[in-house]
Amino acid sequence: MSAPAGAMSRLPARVAVARWRIARWALARWIGALAIAIAGMLLAAGTLRALSAEQIEARVLAITDGLRCPTCQGISVKDSEAGFSQQIREKVRRMVIEGQSDEDIRAYFVSRYGEWILRAPKKEGIGLVLWILPGAALLVAGGLVFWRIRRAGRGRPQADAAAPEPELSPEQRARIARDLKRFEDEELA
Amino acid sequence: MWRSWKFWTVMVAISGLVVMLAYGFFTDPKKVPSPLVGHMAPDFAVERLGGGEKLSLGSLRGTPVILNFWASWCLACRDEAHLLEAVHREYGVEKKALRVIGIAVQDDVQKAQAFARQYRKTYFLALDNAQGEISLNYGLYGVPETFFIDREGMIRYKQIGALTPAVMEAQVPRLIAGVGSGKAKEPK
Repeated sequence: MSAPAGAMSRLPARVAVARWRIARWALARWIGALAIAIAGMLLAAGTLRALSAEQIEARVLAITDGLRCPTCQGISVKDSEAGFSQQIREKVRRMVIEGQSDEDIRAYFVSRYGEWILRAPKKEGIGLVLWILPGAALLVAGGLVFWRIRRAGRGRPQADAAAPEPELSPEQRARIARDLKRFEDEELA
Repeated sequence: MWRSWKFWTVMVAISGLVVMLAYGFFTDPKKVPSPLVGHMAPDFAVERLGGGEKLSLGSLRGTPVILNFWASWCLACRDEAHLLEAVHREYGVEKKALRVIGIAVQDDVQKAQAFARQYRKTYFLALDNAQGEISLNYGLYGVPETFFIDREGMIRYKQIGALTPAVMEAQVPRLIAGVGSGKAKEPK
């Protein structure tokens, strides 16, 4: 059995067409995968950008909460609507966007306004004393109160035990007996 | 009683509290010493109020500068306006011994110009930008504030609040004579 001559001559052409279709299908799959990857990356980049904006705002709020409003009484730059506070907030935002660290930003304002601009003293040098002193004073005061209470508690039973029983005279005993009897009689009546 | 340690502990504690209270009562919380005093004045470049001449602080090296921050809405700035102008005319124009520069903060051009006309200010006036870059760089607490900058560019003195004749009499001759000028540190 042999194939007709025409069919034999069409076979390489069919193989070539099949190969082309396979290649085309593979190419389409690659392009599809690439498109999905690019879309995913764009989506991720968009999400990251949105997150960054939130993070920037969170950092601006945290930093300005620690800075004292220069023109107000006892409120932070974060909570103040004074002109200087608004300008400081904008400056902090610009510095955050520029990539400066929180410490760098605080250092900039300290270099311009002094430690005064910080609402909480630094935990170093004299500032450390300010952090420790209230706690230490509380501890010492608490210790003193505890010591006094313990001393008073220890002293009282000893004093009670040492106290002599009061001696009653026969007249006093007779009076107590008489009063008790009268009390009982009144109760019964 | 005088030998009791309890007595002395209480006395020391009370004395400490009294000292702290006295310090609080007699200290103006706004008179905070500026960390910029003794440091190089931050440089800036501005354009004259209403346009025209441009000026940078760096270009004035070799000349003492009185740098005044003011605003048209500031009441205390009115009190010192004539004094600044008088110092400018005497030491800036006649003796050419110093420059007076006024930077308006949180202000607009029209109001600042009207204020300058009302008080006949002839010294160099400019406007800080909306971001307050110059004001923040100089650590301003409010207006008016004035910096006395020596010929080397170092801040020698800072006045918070309106200038007075006594301040001018004390600071201007020192600034011109270069008294106390030393090596300045750059602000961080």
